[in-house]
Amino acid sequence: MLQQHQHYLQSAATAAPPLPPPATSTPPSSTAGEAPPKQVALAMDRLGHAARLIADIRLGADRLLEALFVAAQPHQSSKPLHLFRQEDDSMRQHLQDLRTIGRQLEESGVLNESLRSRSNSWGLHMPLVCPDGAVVAYAWKRQLAGQAGASAVDRTRLALKAFTDQKRRFFPHLDDEQNGQGTDSVSKKHRSSQALLEDNQDNLSDCKTLSDVLTSLEKDMPNLKVLTYERLDWLKRASSLPASANDNTMEVPKHNFHSSSILRPGPQTVVSMDKVAVIELLFPSVFRAVVSLHPAGSIDPDSVAFFSPDEGGSYIHARGSSVYHVYRHITEHAAVALQYFLGIRSETALHSLLHWICSYRSLFTDICSKCGRLLAMEKQSALLLPPVHRPYRTFSPSKVSSTQAIASTGDQSRSAPRAYHIGCFSDEA
Amino acid sequence: MPLKWVLNWQPNAGSTVNSQILNEVSQCVESINGVKEGRWKATLTFYKPMLRDQALAADFPRDFLGISLPEQPNKYYFILRGHKIVLEADSSIQLIMEKLQSYKSRVALNFEGFQYQLGDFQLRVGKVVPTHSENLRGIVMEVEYLPISSLEKSRQIMDEFVDIWQDTVSKRSLPGHFLHIEPNFSDYGLADHYTSQHTAVQYAHVMAQLIASVQAGQAARN
Repeated sequence: MLQQHQHYLQSAATAAPPLPPPATSTPPSSTAGEAPPKQVALAMDRLGHAARLIADIRLGADRLLEALFVAAQPHQSSKPLHLFRQEDDSMRQHLQDLRTIGRQLEESGVLNESLRSRSNSWGLHMPLVCPDGAVVAYAWKRQLAGQAGASAVDRTRLALKAFTDQKRRFFPHLDDEQNGQGTDSVSKKHRSSQALLEDNQDNLSDCKTLSDVLTSLEKDMPNLKVLTYERLDWLKRASSLPASANDNTMEVPKHNFHSSSILRPGPQTVVSMDKVAVIELLFPSVFRAVVSLHPAGSIDPDSVAFFSPDEGGSYIHARGSSVYHVYRHITEHAAVALQYFLGIRSETALHSLLHWICSYRSLFTDICSKCGRLLAMEKQSALLLPPVHRPYRTFSPSKVSSTQAIASTGDQSRSAPRAYHIGCFSDEA
Repeated sequence: MPLKWVLNWQPNAGSTVNSQILNEVSQCVESINGVKEGRWKATLTFYKPMLRDQALAADFPRDFLGISLPEQPNKYYFILRGHKIVLEADSSIQLIMEKLQSYKSRVALNFEGFQYQLGDFQLRVGKVVPTHSENLRGIVMEVEYLPISSLEKSRQIMDEFVDIWQDTVSKRSLPGHFLHIEPNFSDYGLADHYTSQHTAVQYAHVMAQLIASVQAGQAARN
């Protein structure tokens, strides 16, 4: 019975793939009356149907084998036999349908080479199976739409995700199990950053909502002004910014991240946490950072940008670009850091990002940890810049808050967040 | 507004400033990748009181200065250095002063030259010449850091920039160096946030240094 079944499958399988062409020199008359796009649509439809039938056949084959396997076990009832008969019937039906579709496709000239070889087949070459396996009706249309490029981007993204997942599985510093390889310096580093990560996770596990994140930030950074906005409110604020920059006499309420605007003299509206889409971090006289959340009210940052505290205008937003080189470079670096935080652990990405942003409060005062200077000529742009890079791989939010106490005693200890010029920064930091 | 430091050229003892030095300085700016952008000009006027009895002039402040700055075309700045007073007025005040005839211009000087862009820094190199004359009296330089406005926060960056600048200039072995002495802005009632009034005060102090060095030069020659 098994052999019969196998034979049956084999013969069925040969019915499905394209048959060698008995070349027809004229387009099939049955479809001559329809316009080419309709023929294309029909052919696409049938191909889709055929693909579904093939999938059903595969499933049916699995079930048949399963039934056979069960039947082979001792002391079985007649159930397997019943299953087998059921599957047998449906398989035959699928194969019959497939043969029908195959015949239809053949008639419309899809499965043979006859139309493709002619240059003027309905003015189209179709259907086209692209190198990445997608089937499209109009190859040229796809190219115009840039879909070839788009699928490459998708593939890259999928590959990156797969790689990141695998890395997370196999690399010791992100794995809870011990990688007991002794004195290897790489694994030591991994273990220390693994310890850091565990430490972080303890601290960050209670920062689950936007409110928690912002409260903990305000607590850690007393000099920082944190403000939150709905997306459209931010646009208004950004456009009016230069006016507020010189106003030093402004009263700022203590828990100001609850207010949506500190410019209006009238009653301040409270932004409800579930509508917050923009977070503004202002270190007066140093920088202003804008973080966008998507969706609103979540703790998922999707972009960040840095600006001068004196800049103003509608270009000040999380995807905008400062007019000053120093802030532009930081924004670029921040985009990479954001991706890193999201890749490591997306639930704590916002918390890490905001604290990492705060490490820039020393932008114009901390010297480069590598060359010991504040200003250095950046090779590519030939400009003098302060250290615009802060390492993010070994970043720990708890470090940042602890340096407040250390800095006040005048001791720049080793646990202070390090800073690097562009040319002095290397990825292993 | 972005903050700036005004530096002036201090010639070595026994030497004077000349246009060759000015050329060398301009070349230095270009050697650190400064891109020439355009011209700039500021004017400084020393006022003297118009009195019937000129003997009483000694009772009046000798250092009453007026400055017009290129970044503020509609403003005019008065400084009384001895009294630590700086005032920002509308530029039409000059017309009023002419009508009043209470103070007249004793000496007027132009600071003029080229402006250079170096990324987030803007430099101005200028010669000091009396109006209606080509007699070079000095060289000044403005170093402006565009991204921020706080004098305190920018101090380290500006210090380092001036160090780099001094290094570059010293390689040319010129008979002198640039000097920056920051006036005590709080004496004038000015805050940490930079304004054009800060610039006016810096120019007043630079003038004092210039006069002192010119007088020292004259004394050395005599």
